[in-house]
Amino acid sequence: MNVVEYISMLLQTGLGSLAAYLAAHVLLCLLPAFFIAGALAALIPKEAITRYLGRDASKWVSYPASALGGFVLAVCSCTIMPLFASIYKKGAGLGPAITFLFVGPAINILAISFTGVQIGMDIALARVILAMIFGVTIGLIMAWVFRKDDEEHNQVTNNNNLFAHGAKVPARTWVFFALLLGVLIAGTLQVGLLTNSYAGFTLPGSWAEGFQSQLDDWVPPNPALGIEGVSVQGVLLISLLVLIGVASWFGLNEVDRGYNTWTYTALVLISVTLVVASFKVAATPTGLSVGLTGKLFAEVILIGAVWWMAARRFETFEIQQWLWEMWRFVKQIIPLLVVGVFVAGMARVVIPASWIQSLAGRNTILANLAGVLFGVFMYFPTLVEVPVAQTFLSLGMHRGPLLAYLLADPELSLQSILITNTVIGKKKTALYVTLVAIFSTLAGLIFGFFVR
Amino acid sequence: MIIKILGSGCPKCNRLEQLARDAVAELGAAAEFDHVRQMAEIMQYDIISTPALVIDEVVKCSGRLPQMDEVKGWIKEAQVS
Repeated sequence: MNVVEYISMLLQTGLGSLAAYLAAHVLLCLLPAFFIAGALAALIPKEAITRYLGRDASKWVSYPASALGGFVLAVCSCTIMPLFASIYKKGAGLGPAITFLFVGPAINILAISFTGVQIGMDIALARVILAMIFGVTIGLIMAWVFRKDDEEHNQVTNNNNLFAHGAKVPARTWVFFALLLGVLIAGTLQVGLLTNSYAGFTLPGSWAEGFQSQLDDWVPPNPALGIEGVSVQGVLLISLLVLIGVASWFGLNEVDRGYNTWTYTALVLISVTLVVASFKVAATPTGLSVGLTGKLFAEVILIGAVWWMAARRFETFEIQQWLWEMWRFVKQIIPLLVVGVFVAGMARVVIPASWIQSLAGRNTILANLAGVLFGVFMYFPTLVEVPVAQTFLSLGMHRGPLLAYLLADPELSLQSILITNTVIGKKKTALYVTLVAIFSTLAGLIFGFFVR
Repeated sequence: MIIKILGSGCPKCNRLEQLARDAVAELGAAAEFDHVRQMAEIMQYDIISTPALVIDEVVKCSGRLPQMDEVKGWIKEAQVS
């Protein structure tokens, strides 16, 4: 094929990947996940966890607290570094600080739910469990290796009770999280009760099938490459997303100062999008068949409950903070994700599968190491490691090396290594990087061994 | 008064700076701003996490975005003392 045909084929593949990522089941995962991330950042006071990370905390308390803190407190990479420095210099010390540093990027709520939906719950769960175990292990190792240093580094502060302040997480916050989690799970759990249609109707007319085949022309589905193509429902969802973007720009940019009409518009559109995504839609010769699924009922009830609680059970400022955090994560992550998905989709066609298969096709030490090294040297913005991983998977990478890559990639970006260096120095940073590489490789090997 | 924003340049820290500037403008106060981005300098202050608002070397809040009324309150206090 000539150059023009090749380029248009590339573009179509990129667009096809992007469309697949904007499909109903992805939106039902990502939209709630951003709200959960926003809630973690806005509604959980750091003191609720940092109280366990003070200088006098016992090891049995500070290490698990660091691991949990990494999950709950560190939704954004900019939060991780200052907290890491504080725990190291003013709090529980090197060990728990390292645990926190490791767990934070590894168990990012957005990345985990995204990984679960796109690649598989097995990898997502493995990522969570192994990250916690290895985080504590690496922390313990480093604390032991540098045990003499720990005595000397303690920086004198005026306020030795810096970590003593505690805070409670009120019951309503727990309930709120449960509801938000419910929205996420109801939308993504592949269980008959939720995915089956209990009633339905058909919008008559052959336009549906015609439209669908037109869409298939523009963006051809390619099951071999895992490209689903765009559905009629998909077009509606994508349009809604564009509208949400516009409304949110005007309504959520400064929502911590107050609501305006755009704010309410954006929130209504988001709710509508989730509901639309819950229908089971298919184009048939007679028309557009629309099925009312179990998840549709669940989502309507749960989303309603979320807004009710937000309006009645929380302070206005708390909700404003929640929405502001959610929106700023979206602004930080989505644009890069769109580009990343597009490029990863094109890469699928450009990179020969034989390269991937010979390098990482089987679960060997070398293959896992290759996964880790790729994660270290190639920097991808948050969440982009998921479409990249999917491309590798479709090109033949084994799930073991894939996990190794997914664990190492968020940990070892050049920027984080540089900042870590300014906080704990060259020797400790070097050991940390080495340990992360070793354990990621090990994690991949073990996981690959269990997965058949 | 000297208002310092401690933060390595993420959206929350920038938002805090914007809030502080708006508060100063709305109150007609006189203030110099400094955005401290270096980790070593940030850690000199008694805080656990960023962003943090420091007025005349006293930490007013850290680890969260304050409400506009709170910020105005602190600025008014600093004007009097």
